[in-house]
Amino acid sequence: MFDVDKWLEIFHTIITNPLRTVLTGVSVALGIFILVVMQGLGFGLQNGVYKNMQDDAINSLYIHSWATSLPYKGLNAGREITYKNEDLQHVVDKYEEVTTFSGRMGMWGVAMEYGSETQNFSLRGVHPGHLELERSIVTGGRFINAGDVADARKITVLGKTIVEDLFRDKTPIGEYVKMNGVLFRVVGTFEDPGSKWENRNAYVPITTAQRVYGRNDQVDMFMVTTGELSLTESIEMAAEIDAYLKEKHVVHPDDKRAITVHNNNESFAEMVNVFTGIRTFIWAVGVFTLLAGIIGVANIMSIIVKERTKEIGVRKALGATPASVLGLIIQEAVFLTTIAGSIGLVAGVVLLEVLAMFIDHEFFTNPTINFGVCLGALILLIIAGALSGLLPAIRAVRIRPVEALRDE
Amino acid sequence: MIKLADVRKSYGSGKNLFPVLKGIDMDVEQGELVSIMGSSGSGKSTLLNVLGLLDSYDSGKYLLGGTDMSNLNETTAAQYRSKYLGFVFQSFNLINFKSAVENVALPLYYQKVPRKERNAMAMDLLDKVGLTDWANHLPSEMSGGQKQRVAIARSLITKPRLILADEPTGALDEQTSHEVMDVLKEVNKEGITMIIVTHENEIAAMTQRVIRLRDGLIESTGR
Repeated sequence: MFDVDKWLEIFHTIITNPLRTVLTGVSVALGIFILVVMQGLGFGLQNGVYKNMQDDAINSLYIHSWATSLPYKGLNAGREITYKNEDLQHVVDKYEEVTTFSGRMGMWGVAMEYGSETQNFSLRGVHPGHLELERSIVTGGRFINAGDVADARKITVLGKTIVEDLFRDKTPIGEYVKMNGVLFRVVGTFEDPGSKWENRNAYVPITTAQRVYGRNDQVDMFMVTTGELSLTESIEMAAEIDAYLKEKHVVHPDDKRAITVHNNNESFAEMVNVFTGIRTFIWAVGVFTLLAGIIGVANIMSIIVKERTKEIGVRKALGATPASVLGLIIQEAVFLTTIAGSIGLVAGVVLLEVLAMFIDHEFFTNPTINFGVCLGALILLIIAGALSGLLPAIRAVRIRPVEALRDE
Repeated sequence: MIKLADVRKSYGSGKNLFPVLKGIDMDVEQGELVSIMGSSGSGKSTLLNVLGLLDSYDSGKYLLGGTDMSNLNETTAAQYRSKYLGFVFQSFNLINFKSAVENVALPLYYQKVPRKERNAMAMDLLDKVGLTDWANHLPSEMSGGQKQRVAIARSLITKPRLILADEPTGALDEQTSHEVMDVLKEVNKEGITMIIVTHENEIAAMTQRVIRLRDGLIESTGR
């Protein structure tokens, strides 16, 4: 591979016509640059959306209720459906796959008061499992536990924004906050990396919320995990729960609004599909851009071969074998594409790194590409270089010394 | 050294078939200095190309050093050229981006001789043709006679048994022609067989034997 004379010759032809070399190089570099940057942007979008999805546990069902949209069994449309503790209990008891669950009972615009500060935030009554399902992170103290729920204790876990707004620099744990006139002791603080709005919540035990605010045994919505169930199994489970709840609450089986069982497994699978599609598309676009560059290299190489016809003929007369001529041309093409392509690759990676430093949007983070993609692009380049050199090289091999040496 | 029996070659095909060599019988002994003469179109260049394995022939027999040269593939032909043959052309055919010494050393590159070794050998040969001082010059910086001497040095570096020269003096003035012929005669004296194609009587007269070609056939073998 390392043959000084061959390299000298390659450098010579490259240097002889710098403009042509540069133009060809640019087309290849641009091709790989576009491929890399688009891949990076694709990854950025994917990372952003995945991160957003991690807001909630992926293997979970979120079960909401709303007003009915269809009349059924003598009942009018527009009837409000409200779940009760027993609905949640039924699901938890029936499916042993459910490892974690939580009901949720929320109130908006709750006046929260600490010291001289009063501001409106949201309050949520939840079960201990809410922490895992919502993927919140406890930043101080503890989360709500089973004992809190059983005894309906007046304790609360505050979101990051509430802590910042009400307590400023003070430590909130152990302090008391008045929420719509009821005092709660702060036992912990949390942060939700997925969504900023979650940080405006104060969690309290669901039983406390039901009792203190007069909601008896009502649950606004509830959520359960599906454990190790496969996608199909989880879809079945969701359908069963949907049917059960509709029958129990006298809802038309075709009513899509009153009872909704949202399967996060399914959404995640769909999202994965969408991104596989996007990435495949990006690869295709990049590969075709690269192809344009490669055709450029092939074109240049065939011009070079044509210009060097006589020289190749002389070499053959002096004992150059077809293999050595083939090797010379292909090596030159590979060299040209690899150098130009590497420049494009590095430029693309640098651009992505810079972008990554400045961009951190909810749906777009960390647009870097991984080592595998880089390696793939490089291998692609080398193969492409060889291919672009192949046709001109075969043409060079076919040159008959007699014709090349004929004096014109 | 060389034995040709009824060698025929045509160009084109079908109705446009154009015979160039119409049955050549020819012998050249080891160490001979032979010239091939003929008017243009007589087939002398084609004959030289066949002898030099640069072109194929249609029928007949060609023995080079006792080996049959029919139906060689490109790679084998290249190996035979590299091992047994040296070429000198009318237009020198030096590679213009290589210095004199690199041009001379090039055939050894295809024999995979290490760079240092082949450059040393090339320097010896340049010395022999009186161009030591020009070793690192490009062909464009040299006169015609100097270029042809570089080409001769290049043809000698593989220690060939046969040198084929196609109008070696065709592009040179009279005095330079004589100098170049002196070098070729010098080389021949060392035992290397030499075949020179020329249309100049004066050049042919400097060889030991003149083979005359006419219309694709040998008119006289000069014996």
